[in-house]
Amino acid sequence: MPIRNFSIIAHIDHGKSTLADRLLQATKAVSDREAKAQLLDSMDLERERGITIKASAVTVYHTHKGENYQLNFIDTPGHVDFAYEVSRALTACEGAVLVVDSTQGVQAQTVANAYLAVANGLELIPVINKIDLPAADPDKVAMEIEQVFGFRAEDCILVSAKTGRGIPELLDAICDRLPAPRAAETSKLRALIFDSHYDDYKGVVVYFRVFDGKIKMGDKIRMMGTGRTFFVTELGRYTPFIKKVDSLDTAEVGYMCGAIKSLGDVRVGDTITLEYEPADAALPGYKEPKQMVFCDFYPASAGADGSSGKKGDFEALREAIEKLHLNDASFTFEVEHSEALGFGFRCGFLGLLHMDIIQERLEREGGVEIVQTAPTVSYLVDMNDGSTIEIHNPADLPDLSKVKSIREPIVKLEIICPQDCIGDLMKLCETRRGTFKAQKFLSDDRQILDYELPLAEIIYDFYDKLKSITRGYGTMDYEILDYREENLVKVVILVNGETVEALSLICHRSNAEYRSRCILQKLKKQIDRHQFEIPLQAAIGGKVIARESISALRKNVTAKCYGGDISRKRKLLEKQKEGKKRMKTIGVVSIPQEAFMAVLDQGD
Amino acid sequence: MAGRSTSRTTLTVGGAPPTERHPFADGALPPNAHVRGLYVHVPFCFHKCHYCDFYSLVDRESRQPAYVARLAREIAASAFALERPIETVFIGGGTPTFLEPTLLREALGAIRAGVTLAEGYEWTVEANPETVTPEVAAILVASGVNRVSLGAQSFDERALKTLERWHDPANVRRAVETLRAAGIRRINLDLIFGVPGTSLAGWEHDLDRALALEPDHLSCYGLTYEPNTAMTKRLDLGEFEPCDEDLEADMYERTIDRLAACGFEQYEISNWAKPGERCRHNMLYWTNADWWALGPSASGHIAGTRFKLVPRISEWLGADALAPVVDLERPDLERAKAETLLVGLRLLDGLPRATVDACLGVSGQEALARHLAQGTLEIADDRVRLTRRGLLVADGVLAEM
Repeated sequence: MPIRNFSIIAHIDHGKSTLADRLLQATKAVSDREAKAQLLDSMDLERERGITIKASAVTVYHTHKGENYQLNFIDTPGHVDFAYEVSRALTACEGAVLVVDSTQGVQAQTVANAYLAVANGLELIPVINKIDLPAADPDKVAMEIEQVFGFRAEDCILVSAKTGRGIPELLDAICDRLPAPRAAETSKLRALIFDSHYDDYKGVVVYFRVFDGKIKMGDKIRMMGTGRTFFVTELGRYTPFIKKVDSLDTAEVGYMCGAIKSLGDVRVGDTITLEYEPADAALPGYKEPKQMVFCDFYPASAGADGSSGKKGDFEALREAIEKLHLNDASFTFEVEHSEALGFGFRCGFLGLLHMDIIQERLEREGGVEIVQTAPTVSYLVDMNDGSTIEIHNPADLPDLSKVKSIREPIVKLEIICPQDCIGDLMKLCETRRGTFKAQKFLSDDRQILDYELPLAEIIYDFYDKLKSITRGYGTMDYEILDYREENLVKVVILVNGETVEALSLICHRSNAEYRSRCILQKLKKQIDRHQFEIPLQAAIGGKVIARESISALRKNVTAKCYGGDISRKRKLLEKQKEGKKRMKTIGVVSIPQEAFMAVLDQGD
Repeated sequence: MAGRSTSRTTLTVGGAPPTERHPFADGALPPNAHVRGLYVHVPFCFHKCHYCDFYSLVDRESRQPAYVARLAREIAASAFALERPIETVFIGGGTPTFLEPTLLREALGAIRAGVTLAEGYEWTVEANPETVTPEVAAILVASGVNRVSLGAQSFDERALKTLERWHDPANVRRAVETLRAAGIRRINLDLIFGVPGTSLAGWEHDLDRALALEPDHLSCYGLTYEPNTAMTKRLDLGEFEPCDEDLEADMYERTIDRLAACGFEQYEISNWAKPGERCRHNMLYWTNADWWALGPSASGHIAGTRFKLVPRISEWLGADALAPVVDLERPDLERAKAETLLVGLRLLDGLPRATVDACLGVSGQEALARHLAQGTLEIADDRVRLTRRGLLVADGVLAEM
């Protein structure tokens, strides 16, 4: 039976999931009655955000020109942070359907993923979706596709996933235009893991594409990257309902279970082979997931005295994080203790959206309330003795006299935006230390802007600013290029001459002053006047670069204090003292937890 | 309410507090008790001012006769506590002079009959300027009252309106003259500064107007936003801007300088007196002396026991003998130490160093050292006292101690 392995590349909301469902319906894999919308996205969150977080694979059968085809549809994550997962999913395919919304045109992620597909040697079928909408402008979108990807406009298939128009043509094109899978290069098993998820009953479910050889029930398998071995206890494919099979052959796509307890044992991109008859070499392209963005999560009710916060809250957070980690091994966590916020976790994420998703899932699925600190990136610190350490917390920065240089991650950023926003966007990129790379024409009124800029500059509010400048029409995509040495400094904040380590930050020398001033101003608003003047300073290596001061309290006296008032008066003063206890005392200054939050919180 | 230099109590926050039996319902005082003063609370008012958190009510049920009758019974039931000569009596409110003249005479008469007044006693009644008529003044004098505290608050009509005080500023002078004519020599004026919308010049004008009336005592308070008052609610709702902290501090400092120049001694954070004219009743509070309490919501202190009579008139009226109490606190050494510091350091004379040392724990000693270093406290003549700078931030100093 001929096989076609393909995926769908689309921007968020361009209709990938609806299209996938329509394909299932058209191939009778799902009855009309069963065809509930967006079958492939399983989590609430995914549906709400309209994005696919976890990939899955579905096998359907389609009769074309008298022959029965096996079509394996491999779903890809739709966001920038999962670029590596996307690349692995694409590697498992020979072709891809490139979906562009006929009302929105080409978006940044579409471009990035389409290029990725081309780089992986995939054949693309351009599809213009949502042609049933009144605002559809398929001709213009076809021009954009031609401009960016070089397809002839007439090669685009016009589809309405909603009404089903164009679906049969698309199925025919998948069978006709996509290449057949390559033949096995060796008889020894080599299967590429492109996704996995955790199931409470089965343990880890591993999705893979068999490139060489054959996998059978009962096989003892070995993950070539991690070296872990398991017995295959369940093998099958989703149609989209689970259909167990005894074996999967070269070019086929399916899933396996093997009493795998932790997602950490299964790495996307790894190669499955047989323990007793291993392949000579793994399939190329395996990479460890790399966390680029870091922030702290604290239980929202934690105290500021450095130790307290109800113990239960911290334990509840730990439980929620550990549980979520079973489902997503691509974020990291370790216990963190902040003098300001008590006990929490330092977590690492693939990117910004990944961080948001994890936070939301913790709150929603774990039922814990979280205080999140401003994200930072990971830095590489080259020491004078030639060693290099990686840090993702300004507090961990070693003594600067021992440091030769600090490197930070640089990204390649691609923005697609309306023509009239170009000026403002370029200004935004310049203020974020961006280096202009290219400006490309996309259509009459839209352009592509390429920049290189530090990841640290886009993790704050860059995306929000982009959206507001472009009135929501701009889209962006980025990928990590490398680490580069920059003029980075550690800024420490001093309150009344005492260093507050929890507030220190690493930033570029050129905006150290601006950032410092923002922080000091926030602090000034949050710290109550004391009986003495409190200097607030920001310093780089002992040199003060910004200062503010909180003037001394001039009047704090309750006028009345009379007989009957004494009990109450005493209680009021005790309350005042209690309130102080909940504050963090730095030297002789009481700093409320809100002050730390205001500074550590996201945004400028 | 009338003037505010009284031992009135507050409405308790968060619903009706549970009552307990009066701590001295058995009719005996501890042997170490020495009752030197008496506070009587008269809760009636013409209008509930929105900044006031003392127990007062605008009576629409004419409960004044019942109040006076019940007061007489409470006095009778208190005979065991009032055996020894009493040095000071203070009648506060509410507005004591808002009582019908005949009822006022009856109430004062009952007090006079139930109490042995010591030689040279001080008997103060609070009054609102508009309630002081020649008739009322005559009743006061005839009953033995020798001091009146007038709730002037301000001479600025706008400030008075902000405070919801409805008297005509001119009434203050009239009231003072009426009292003097009737033979009341000792007169206190209550003034409030830091009222939203007022200025430093306006406050100085208030002080001038008050000084022109030649009182022997002045109580000058910074407006305090008490919890659970209408004014605090309005503040929280953002209906007005409170007085700037620096301006209020300026007003306070100006008060200190101006009154000193006019021969007044500041003897407490908010109180100034001509030599020899300090309010002896309030001094009882500030030296942790013993005083008895009568009337709804009145607070008393007897040998370390603090109590407040039930602050609800219907329950108070319904009680026989001694009314039940709320917020009862039994003698407690640690609490007593805290209270000694709390009230004693508010006095400009401060406390003997030895007393302070005896009251302070380790952290308190640290705070003392810190405040001495910061210049908010000082030691002079072997007494610990607030400095001028310390006066302005006394709450913070006391809280830390």
